[in-house]
Amino acid sequence: MNQENSSTENTALNPETWVDHYGDYLYCFAISRVRDPSVAEDLVQETFLAALNSIKSFASRSSPKTWLTGILKHKIVDYFRRKSREPTGDDVETAMKALEALFDEKGRWNIKPAEWTADPEKLYGQKEFMDVLNRCLSELSSRLAHIFILREMDGLKTDEICKVLSITATNCWVMLYRARMYLRQCLESNWFKPDSS
Amino acid sequence: MNHWIFNCKAVTRMVSESMDRKLPFYQRMGIRMHLLMCKLCSRYRRQLLFLRETIRLQAASSEDIESAIVLPPGARERIKRSIRNALNLK
Repeated sequence: MNQENSSTENTALNPETWVDHYGDYLYCFAISRVRDPSVAEDLVQETFLAALNSIKSFASRSSPKTWLTGILKHKIVDYFRRKSREPTGDDVETAMKALEALFDEKGRWNIKPAEWTADPEKLYGQKEFMDVLNRCLSELSSRLAHIFILREMDGLKTDEICKVLSITATNCWVMLYRARMYLRQCLESNWFKPDSS
Repeated sequence: MNHWIFNCKAVTRMVSESMDRKLPFYQRMGIRMHLLMCKLCSRYRRQLLFLRETIRLQAASSEDIESAIVLPPGARERIKRSIRNALNLK
């Protein structure tokens, strides 16, 4: 009977309670990647419905949370894949052009990087800093943001990203370069050196 | 000033790429030489690593850092309803 099961198994096998137990966590997870509340809501819903269909495959070894997060990760990748088929203004040429402006004709820095005095362990928990970082991330074009998020948040290798988004490895490296350059600059002017323009 | 064969623009690109794949030997050496002499590119490299570290810390702890974000009540009800419907269809 149910009472003999562990509480984790009970939760996993009782879909009615999923939303209350894991809804907020999955929503946070989704929104940190897709950055659009209504898309995040839909992905959470799709995750639960997909989980219902594959409930038999749930191995009670893993926790329901890990299991659901795994399904959500796939849903997010699917979403990025769908989005990558839509035409966007941002491609490799746009990225390259934006990068040109950062250096002079001899390839020297136009705007010199400032010294940052920061320890990630200390900064990452600070709400004000994380708000700035998230704002900078949301200013990236969706294509750049998706590549960057898959690489840095989910730790995908570039060849995996290439497959998902149907781009070449070289394009992927250029886009990551562009995203990092942009974020570096954005953090510098909005957090580390707010006075200078 | 000529920092060996690579200029800052080339080095910034290779430094970023080195975070995604293993670069050929001559590029790794070229970067190292350049960084020894170029304060700005060394800063840049540290800052990219800082960015990576911060994003990873955030990704690993989406729970505590964004605990203020909760599933909106409307969506919560809608999702519960869709789960109930799916269960009834089974």
